[in-house]
Formats: sequence, structure tokens, C-alpha cells
Amino acid sequence: MRFVLTSARKDLRRLRRDPLALAVWIGIPVIIGLMLTLLFGGGGSPTPHGRLLVADEDESVLSGFLTGSFDRGPMAKMITVEKVERGEGRRRLDKGDGSALLIIPKGFTEAYLRNQPFELSLVTNPSQQILPQIVSETLSMVMDLGFYLQLLAGDQLRAFSGDQGALSDLALSGTILTLRHRFDNLHAYLDPPVIKLKTTVVEQSATASPSFAAVLFPCLLFQSLLFVAMGLSADVWKERRLGTIRRLVSTPAPFSAALTGKLLSVTLVIAAVGVAGLTAGRWMADLHPSNVWAALAWVVCSGAVLFLFMLLLQTTASNERAANLLANLFVMPLMMLGGTFFPFEAMPKQMAAIGRWTPNGWLLLQFKAILDGSMGAGRLAVDLAAVALLGALVFLVVARRLRVKFVV
Amino acid sequence: MAAPNRELPGLRFKLWRLADEFRLNFPPMPHRILLFMIEVEQLRKAFGELVAVDGVSFAVQPGELFGLLGPNGAGKSTTIGCISGLLTPTAGRVRVMGHDVVSDGVAARRALGVVPQDIALYEDLSAADNLQYWGGAQGMRDPALRSRIAEVLELTGLQDRAREAVKKFSGGMKRRLNMACGIIHRPKVLLLDEPTVGVDPQSRVRLLEMVRAEARAGTCVLYTTHYMEEAESLCDRLAIVDRGKVIAQGTLAELRSVLGQRDLLRFTGRFQPDAVRRSLQDLEGIEVVQAEPEVLILAAAEASRRLPAIFSALAASEAEVRETTLTRPSLETLFIKLTGKELRE
Repeated sequence: MRFVLTSARKDLRRLRRDPLALAVWIGIPVIIGLMLTLLFGGGGSPTPHGRLLVADEDESVLSGFLTGSFDRGPMAKMITVEKVERGEGRRRLDKGDGSALLIIPKGFTEAYLRNQPFELSLVTNPSQQILPQIVSETLSMVMDLGFYLQLLAGDQLRAFSGDQGALSDLALSGTILTLRHRFDNLHAYLDPPVIKLKTTVVEQSATASPSFAAVLFPCLLFQSLLFVAMGLSADVWKERRLGTIRRLVSTPAPFSAALTGKLLSVTLVIAAVGVAGLTAGRWMADLHPSNVWAALAWVVCSGAVLFLFMLLLQTTASNERAANLLANLFVMPLMMLGGTFFPFEAMPKQMAAIGRWTPNGWLLLQFKAILDGSMGAGRLAVDLAAVALLGALVFLVVARRLRVKFVV
Repeated sequence: MAAPNRELPGLRFKLWRLADEFRLNFPPMPHRILLFMIEVEQLRKAFGELVAVDGVSFAVQPGELFGLLGPNGAGKSTTIGCISGLLTPTAGRVRVMGHDVVSDGVAARRALGVVPQDIALYEDLSAADNLQYWGGAQGMRDPALRSRIAEVLELTGLQDRAREAVKKFSGGMKRRLNMACGIIHRPKVLLLDEPTVGVDPQSRVRLLEMVRAEARAGTCVLYTTHYMEEAESLCDRLAIVDRGKVIAQGTLAELRSVLGQRDLLRFTGRFQPDAVRRSLQDLEGIEVVQAEPEVLILAAAEASRRLPAIFSALAASEAEVRETTLTRPSLETLFIKLTGKELRE
């Protein structure tokens, strides 16, 4: 036991003399996380909001009705309508100030009432994708509505256009009555509707969906663990180069004690990474694990077993270069598939289903369950015991491989 | 070869071994008792088809400095590897302080201090940290370990650089620290595998003095080298090894007597071996060690005086001599006499 501590102290001292390596292993996931956050936007962000510039050269009741359709109801939450001159609107859109510019030309109302062709121009901002699309779709729907209105009451609408001179009271009453009659006829189809549409409302989760940062955070923590495990496991090759493993075998100290000491030092480093990670998660991703100690214990246990797996890979290779290659060959696909690089939530379903069965994927899933409080104490104890047992088996194999391959 | 341990007084040996088992601070065994600290019997180590060590036997007493002398690849390091437990012998038996290195390895290694040929240190740690670790590996504890570290650092002249990372050390300083890590626990048996390779003269002198001090303190030292001057000046007894076999063994005086104080004459040129042998057989006291078409080696007392007669005989055999070298009796000449080749070939 004493030599276990001596060995662990030695490895920690060696790590302390090379803090840059540790900073890189932890720094890489942080940088990746920042990049992903920038790429996909932060989590919990407000509903996207755009600005529709309208150059209303017609300035009629109908053009007012058209522009009004964009700032009523749910659309008002997404779009702000701002009236501009045509030239100013183009300039502002060229600068990216606005989602789209709608130009309603002079004579629009008259052309519509007379059922004559007219042209509305919608210029969209190419740097935005969703909001201009919403504006375009809404405009198209309004135009369709206008088309059907023309079909239903074209003659009556034309009567309002003033072609036949000012309407007499009698003519106005007749037109209104005709319109009333047309709409009454429609009632047979519209009220009650001929087609019954059955709708099912999907129940919304009672809790708010987690932010992107909160989804990404556990992945980044496990990414750090994988990098730390990979980096620290490569140390056996350095020890082989230094001849210290050979020298150790000629001492009475048990080889397994030296390996246990190494594992202990790695575990302490991983614990430090876990504490830093959970603290950062609380601060940056508003992450509040239901059981902090269980989360930390799981991180430490996962890191230790990942280190042993990496050590197994290192000792399988015939030389240091092959070991590096082999470690990268395993780690990169595991990261991609095991939800460590891209969250399972952002992966295609089939891929996520496979990824959940990778070692890091499984460990990550359990960690997420601990974070959201869905893992009970009993299941946690069983899972920890399973991981510890697996780790012990790998430890025995690694100890033997080191003793046989790294000494002679 | 001397008698093995089992024929020696049993009770005293058992008591001493028991004391060692329990790490009692027992005084070193008195030199007068013929107890062998290292016993190597018919050791054989093969790596597949290659036989690196073939039937090597020797025994070393407490306080004795025993040298294994031989060229590179002779099997010296493999022998050390088998004694230190790094390698498992293919055949034969190795005992350290009576403990079989295979069946009772931990007890055997407890008595051992090993200074490997290649420097084996943590270069990113300081000298003191290295000593702390290797002392710990030998079972030492504070405060004894701490005081011993200070002692060893002073012995190696590294006390001023104790807290500095080893990677900043010169080659000689690393060699001295390598040695220090091997003796930190005051081993009863010290294995030194070519500890002075690539060392500056100052460090070499210091290292050799440390080795002598260890032997004077009663430690049994097994020293391998291919520097014959080192072996001559340092070792009480020697075994000359070539191609995995011991070709001669004894004290320096015993080995010199094999040569009979004769000089060694080495000729290069063109020779007819049979004609040379016939021509030289009439000259009394001249022995043909090796006769090859391009090399001729002769052993003769006071060879310089006899050179005219030898040249006449060679001329008679129609030999063409291009170069002549006369070597005084030494381990080098003995090695040449025994193997027909130079030690550093």
C-alpha cells in the first residue's frame, strides 16, 4: 500500500512538471464546445425575430390590410413591420438591416378590384433563411385569399372600384345584400364544416427543454475524460523509453502496486477535471445535478475505466507510433459515435441507437441520467459495481501485458 | 569453482537470512565466512535459436568485486538480467543470498541493487524525487530514506542539484544518479552493468571510487565491463566471457599466469599458415596462437629481443609482413590468446 502512494505521488509530480499537456486535454473540448455553440447558437435563445420593410406606394385601405396581416396574431411575435421608402428599403436591406422588403406599387388596389394583373415585389435578405421564408409564405397565403375573394365576389368588388361612377344608396344596398347572400350560401360548407378535422394535441413536456449548452456540456466533460485517458495512458511508452519499468522489475516492489499507483494518480487528475467540469457546467450551462457527489463519483469511475481501456490499447501495439495510431483509430470513432462529440440528441436516430452501446456512450448516458435525477441510488450502485468489475479485469490484463511486453 | 552455499555452516547462514527477511539491521557477513552471495550454476538463456548465455557458472563472495569481462554481445547483460529477475533462465540455477531468483524472486531482489547499463531515471523529476521513488520501491521509509538520500547525494556530488530536473543533467551526472538509485537502500549484492559507458573522466573516477567503497563496506559487487583497464584496476576476481561462455575465470594473478608473462606479437600481411608453423617450430618458447592467411598471432617471452629470429623464420616461410604489434601481458592479450580476437571487436 505504501508503494502505491509512493508511485502515485511520483506520477502526480511528473504531471505537475508538465501542466501544458493537461491544459491541452481539457482545453480541446472547451474550444470544440465554444465552436459548436457559436455554430448552432446558444441554448434557450428567444424566438427569432425579423423586420419586414414595406414600401407602400399605394397607401390604400387594401395595401394597409395587406401589411397589417404581418403584424397581427402570432406573426407579430416574429415580424415587425416598418414602413420605408423604396430606395431607403433597398439600401437598408443591402446592409442586412431587415429580413425582407415588400414593395406595393401605386395602383395595386385598383388593379385588384378590377381583377387586372398587378405585381408585388418581395426582396429577401440572403443572409437570413427562415424569417424571409415565413414572410414569403404569408404573402403567398394572403394572395391566395384575395384570389378566392375575387372568384366569389368579383363583380361586387368591381362595383367599389368606381368605374361605374359613385354608387347610389340603392346600388350599395344591393351589392351588400348580394355579398351577404353569397356568404350565407357558404355557411352550408363552412358552418358547420363539411370536413371535420380531427386534431391531436401533443402534450408538451412540463419542464422546459434543456438548452443547447446543457445538452452539450456532458459531452464536453466526457470528451475531456477521453483525451485525458488517452494522453495519460501513452505515458507507459515514455516509461519504457526511460527504462524505468525494467528497473522496477528488479526491485522487490510488486508491479501491480506501481500500476495501482499510476491508476490512483490518474483518478485524482480525473477527479480534478470532474470538479472543474461540474463547476463550469453550473456556471456556464446552468446545470444543477440532482446529486453532485453521485455525478462526480460517476465521472471518476468512468475516467478510470476509460484510462484502463486506453492502457489496454497502448499495450496491444508493438511500438509507440503504432500505439498512438491505434488509440486515435479507436478514440475518434468512439467520440463521434458515442455522443461525446455530437450529442445523441443531434444525431440521426439509428446512429444514436448504436452509439448508446459504445463504452463512452453508455457511460455518458448514465451520467446524464444522474444529472437529471432519473437514476436511483440502487441502479447507480449496481452500475458503479459493474464498471469497477470491468475495470479490475482490464487492470489484470494490462498488468500482465506490461510485465511481459514492456520489460524484455 | 568454490563449493556452493549448502555445504557451508547452515545455522549461521539461516540466522542471517532470517534477519534479512525481517529487514533487521544486521551487520554484513564477515568476509572470512565463505558464503557466496551470488551463485550462478550452469546458467543458460536462449532467445529462440539464439543462445545468449551457455552454461555460465561463477560464485561471488561478500565484499568481493567480481568482474564479467567480455566484448559487446558476449552475454554479460543477459547474465545480469537473469540474476536481477528481468529474464527467466532457460536452464541452470541462480541464487542471490541463497534465494533462488525464480522460485523466491522477491526475497532475492530484496538483497539486490541494480545499476542498469542504460540510464533508467525519470528525467522530468528531480534527483531527490528519483531517489525517493527508487528508495520507496526498495521498501525504504522516511525518515531513514530522507537521511540516506542526503548521504547518497553527497556521495555522488549532486547535493547542489538535488532539486533540479534530471533532464538538465550532463551524461556523467545522470550516470552518477543512476548509480545512486541502485545503492540507495544499501544492497548486500550490487549488480553493475557497464556503469561507466559514455562517462567523462571525472565522473568515471567518482563512479569507480563509489564501487570500491561499496565493496569495502561488505557489499558483493558484480561488475560487467568491456574496458579491460577498468576490470584490471577494480576487480578482485574476473570471468572472461565470449559468445555466452566463460572462457577463463580467476584472480588477475591467476589469469596472468595462463599467459606465463609472455608478450603477444600480432602480424598482419600474407601468410601460408602451414609453412609459418613449420618454420617457427624450431624457435624455442614461441607459441603460435593464431595462424590465418592474413593474421598471425604469436606468444613469446621477451618478444622484442626475439624479433630478428622471428622475422627470419617468417621470411623463410615466404610470408609478407605489413604490420607488427607487440603487446605486453594483460587481460587484452589473454583475451586475444583465448579467443583469437580483440576485446573490442
